[in-house]
Amino acid sequence: MRLAFLTRKNLGRRPVRTWVTILGVASAMLLLILVGSLSAGLDRAMSGSEAARTLIVYRQNRYCPQTSNLPEWYADRIAKMDGVASALPVKVFLSNCRASLDVVAFQGAPAAALLETRNFDVISGDADAFRTRRNSALIGKAFADRRHLAVGDRFRFGTMNFEIAGVFTSSEPVEEGVVVTHLDFLQRSSPGGKPGVVTQIEVKVRNAADAERVAREIDDTFRSAEAPTDTRPKVAFLEGATRDLREILRFANWLAAACFVVMLVLVGNTVVMSVQERTRELGVLRTVGFEGRHLATLVLGEAWTIAGIGGLLGLAATWTVIRLTHLTIGSEGVIVEFVTSPELAAKGIAVALLAGTLAALVPALRASRVPVVAALRGT
Amino acid sequence: MAFIELDHVTRTYKKGDVEVTPLRDVSLSVESGEFFVLLGPSGSGKTTLLNLLANIDAPDAGRVSVAGTDLATLYGASSARWRAAHVGYVFQQANLVPVLTAYENVEIPLWLFPMTKEERHRRVSLALEAVGLLDRSDHLPKQLSGGQEQRVAIARAIVADPPLLVADEPTGNLDHESAEGIMVLLKRMNAELGKTIVMVTHDPRAAGFGTRRMRLDKGALIAEPTVGVAS
Repeated sequence: MRLAFLTRKNLGRRPVRTWVTILGVASAMLLLILVGSLSAGLDRAMSGSEAARTLIVYRQNRYCPQTSNLPEWYADRIAKMDGVASALPVKVFLSNCRASLDVVAFQGAPAAALLETRNFDVISGDADAFRTRRNSALIGKAFADRRHLAVGDRFRFGTMNFEIAGVFTSSEPVEEGVVVTHLDFLQRSSPGGKPGVVTQIEVKVRNAADAERVAREIDDTFRSAEAPTDTRPKVAFLEGATRDLREILRFANWLAAACFVVMLVLVGNTVVMSVQERTRELGVLRTVGFEGRHLATLVLGEAWTIAGIGGLLGLAATWTVIRLTHLTIGSEGVIVEFVTSPELAAKGIAVALLAGTLAALVPALRASRVPVVAALRGT
Repeated sequence: MAFIELDHVTRTYKKGDVEVTPLRDVSLSVESGEFFVLLGPSGSGKTTLLNLLANIDAPDAGRVSVAGTDLATLYGASSARWRAAHVGYVFQQANLVPVLTAYENVEIPLWLFPMTKEERHRRVSLALEAVGLLDRSDHLPKQLSGGQEQRVAIARAIVADPPLLVADEPTGNLDHESAEGIMVLLKRMNAELGKTIVMVTHDPRAAGFGTRRMRLDKGALIAEPTVGVAS
C-alpha cells in the first residue's frame, strides 16, 4: 500500500496552505522548546556537586547583590568556626539586578582562595597569569561562548577593563556564566564598590550534615553586629535568587500549553479542510476497494507529516537561535542558560505528533466512515 | 445461476423529508459476458441499481448476488476487498485524483493487492495500452482531454482484472466523437476481455452498444426491444 506516497501528493495540492500550516507549527514549536530549554537551564543551575555543603552568607533583608554589603573580615571569623572548611569573601557586581536577558555578572574574590575553593578547570589560558595580574579575569565557558571572547582579549565594562587570562568550566554549572576577578580590583573599580566590603561569603562546611548548625551559628554570631547576616544553603539561595525566573517560567508554561493548542488548531483546520475538499475522491477510493482504515491512515498521515515537519523545523530554529546567540537569562546574579538536549528534542517531536494525532482524530474517523454513495454525490 | 441476480430488491432512501423508492421489488438476471444497458429517466433508480451491484449500497429488501456471492454476507473490510477484486466502476465524471499522473491513477487499485512493483508496472502498462494512452502515462489529469480522462478511468477500472464493469453514464460529459471512442472501448472490453458490463445511459447511441437493454421506470424494470449491436 503506497499511502505515504499518496499522503505526500495530497499535501502538494495546496502547497501554500500546507507550508503556512507547517511554519505555524514550527513557530509554536520554537516557543515550546524555548520554554522547555529555560526550564532545563534552571534545573541545571540548581545542580552541582558542592551545593549540599555550601552555604551563602548574605546581608539580612537584602535581595539584590548591589545592596548586600558585608564586612570582608566576617570571612576570617567564619573560617574559624567549628566544622567550616573554607570561607570565601565574594564581591558581586551585576549589569542588571532584575530578571533580564544578557546579564553580565562579575565576582571578585582573593585569587588564591578562589582557585583553591572553587572546582574550576581552566580549559584555556593560565591560572597562574590570573593569580599574578591584578586586572586579569577568568571567564566561564558559557560567558566566553556568548560574548565570543578568548584568552588574551580585553573586556571592557563601564570603567572596568579586564584582560582575560583564562576560560574555565566548573562542577557548578551556574558558575560558567560569570566573570571572576580579583576582589580588591572589583572593590575599587566597580560602581558602588568599597574596599573591605563584599556582597556575600561562600562557606564550605566539612560535613553536609553540619550545614544547618553552621548557618545558625553564623547568623547568631552577627545578629547584633552592624551588618546582620542571613545564611542559607546554596540551593535555597539559588531558589530565592531565581524566584523571578520561576515566575516567568510559570507564565511561560501557560504559553507552552497555548502553543500546543495552536498546533492542534492549525493542523486540525488544514486537515478538516483537506478532507472536506476531497469527499468525492474519498468515495471513489472506497468504491475502488479502499477500506475505512486506509482512509483514516491517509488523513492521519497528512496530519503527522505536517506536524512532524513543522516540529523538526521548529527544533532546528530553536537550536540555531540558542547556539548562535548563546541565550541566557539572569536574575540576582544567577545566570541561567537555555539548555537543549536530545531528550528535549524528542519530547518536542512527541508533542507535535500528539497534536497532529488529536487534530486528525475526528476527520480521520469521518473519512473512514464516509457513506460512499453520499460521498460520490458530493454531499 | 446467473452472474448477476437481483431477487425482489427494494431500495428506499430519504431525500430531505421525503421518502423515495427508486427500486421497488426489482428482479433481474445478467449472464456472464453480457453487455447490459439500463435506460430510464433521471431519478428512476439506475445509479442506485449500479451501486447495489458494486456493493457500495445495500437493499432494504431482497437479495443481490454477483459472481456467486450474496452481497448481504459482506460487510466492512470484506466488502471492500470483494469490491477491489470483482468490480470496476466507471463514473460519469472520470473522478481521477488530480495530483496523480495517469499512470499513478491507474495504479491505485493495485495498491490493495500484494504485488511486486514489476507486476504492477506490467498491469498498468497493459491497461493504459488497452485504452490507447500509454504515451500519456506521465500526464496529469489537467493535461488530458475529457475523453482521455475517461479512458484513464476505464483503465483504472480494468487494471485489477475484475469480472464486472459497472458504468454510470460514462459518455454523459463527452462530445460525440469522444463518446463514440469510449463506447467502442467498452465494447472491446466486453468482447475481447470477456468483462460483464452493466451500463446506465440516457444516450440511445451508447445504448446501441449493449447486448441487452432494459428500461427502469417508476421502480420497475421493463424490457426494451433488442436493436442491432453497434461495433
